Amino acid sequence: MNCQQFQEVLPYIIESGGNADQEDHLRSCEACAALVQDLRYIAEQAKLLLPMHDPNPRVWSNIEQSLQREGLLQEGRMSRQGQTTKYPTIAKQTKSGTVLGWLLAMAAVAALAAILVNYHPRPVQPQVTTADNAVGKTPFDADDQKILSQVSQQQPDLSSAYENSLRQVNSYIADAKKAVDENPDDSAIQEHLQDAYQQKAVLYEMATVRSLE
Amino acid sequence: MKKLCSIAILTVIMALSVIIALASDSHNQVKLNIAPGGMVNIVNNSGSVTLHPGSQQQVTVNATTHSDKVEVDSNSIPDGKRVEIRTHVLAQQKLSNDELKVDYDITVPAGVSVTVSTATAPITIENLNANLSLSSDMGKITVKNAANAHIHVRSVAAPVALTNVTASYVEITSSSGAVQLEDVFGPKVTAGTTGGDITYRGDCSGGGVYSLTTHSGTIDVTLPQNASVDLTARSVTGSVENDFPFQQKSHPTFVPSPGRSLVGTSNSGSSSVELQSFSGRIRVKKQ
Repeated sequence: MNCQQFQEVLPYIIESGGNADQEDHLRSCEACAALVQDLRYIAEQAKLLLPMHDPNPRVWSNIEQSLQREGLLQEGRMSRQGQTTKYPTIAKQTKSGTVLGWLLAMAAVAALAAILVNYHPRPVQPQVTTADNAVGKTPFDADDQKILSQVSQQQPDLSSAYENSLRQVNSYIADAKKAVDENPDDSAIQEHLQDAYQQKAVLYEMATVRSLE
Repeated sequence: MKKLCSIAILTVIMALSVIIALASDSHNQVKLNIAPGGMVNIVNNSGSVTLHPGSQQQVTVNATTHSDKVEVDSNSIPDGKRVEIRTHVLAQQKLSNDELKVDYDITVPAGVSVTVSTATAPITIENLNANLSLSSDMGKITVKNAANAHIHVRSVAAPVALTNVTASYVEITSSSGAVQLEDVFGPKVTAGTTGGDITYRGDCSGGGVYSLTTHSGTIDVTLPQNASVDLTARSVTGSVENDFPFQQKSHPTFVPSPGRSLVGTSNSGSSSVELQSFSGRIRVKKQ
């Protein structure tokens, strides 16, 4: 499963959790894990902004009377037997319930705006799907880890790009090696293996230059 | 009236902000002599690098720094065969991205070799007939209107775009950056990526050798009806799709497998085009 697939189903699984595949991706992908964490935080904070209990019944009757005054609602209330019971129209309305509602709504909008302004989603690195989806699982060897560590010390902004590219090229090498083992006489596949190693060599060279700056 | 006042105040505030930002910029110009066939080496991690052709036998460096914590070191050796232009960080502490940025606008004469290395700064080169060696980790690399050149490009995740490059030797290696080639012709055009997509649009003219290879990216090639190519497309585990009316080759070097490989000739087959992917999709379309 890649990040795009995961984010498509995220609205449906954010509360309830996902299936094994989705949980695996969440465990292995930092970007998606951070996104889920941020979304859950926003959802929790939004709940805290508004009271969970129903407003005073007077609030509802005031709203009903306002609607009647504006002609949007017929006066009176329909009883269960279908008879309309008329209530006297109150000329002056106490507005405290309406004002309270507006204040709460404005506070909720302001808080949400503050959260959204401070919300910085991490860029999602494109996931490469290879024939056996091995990109996320291809481990780094000691040399890879060393070079990545040096890049991240000197140029932390570039470390995720190098990490992603190194994963892809290791996956390329693994796929090509496997294919050569299965088809040792296929020259096209051997060319792929050479190309994969060459790609890795270029990556190492660029990483070395970057880590020496 | 109130609304007009608010707009006026906002405009003044924005103008002041721009003025303050520009005030901290520093513009410098340096002119350095370079011998015919000389080499220009440019290193700038952050900001931008733009190159233009110049008429005189000298390199003109226009540099804009956005902080007093970086400086531009530029010098040429006495015989003029090499010019170095490098961004130098003065401060010991870690600088912000904005402080590190230096924007270069450089003119070079034709016939020199240019090497540019950046980390995130985009590299843009237009109308320059020079041998180019360009590398960037994440800054977009753009080359337009070049001819009779050797162009080497290396990218980690930087997108690469070459347009109207003729009679040139082109070699591109990109890990995850996408490669776009439009009207790129040469004796030899080679592009290889690991995960980046490769797009080629043009007629692969000139009787050259064109080789596009990827591990898991896609390869999209769009050819006009009059393209004269001898094309081979193969994917180990991906797919090969074809919408171009090729003629069958009489003696292919391998037996094509529908959906996985393709061999065909168009017109006189003067250029050789080889498309290879490991698990990515290859698509050949008619323009």
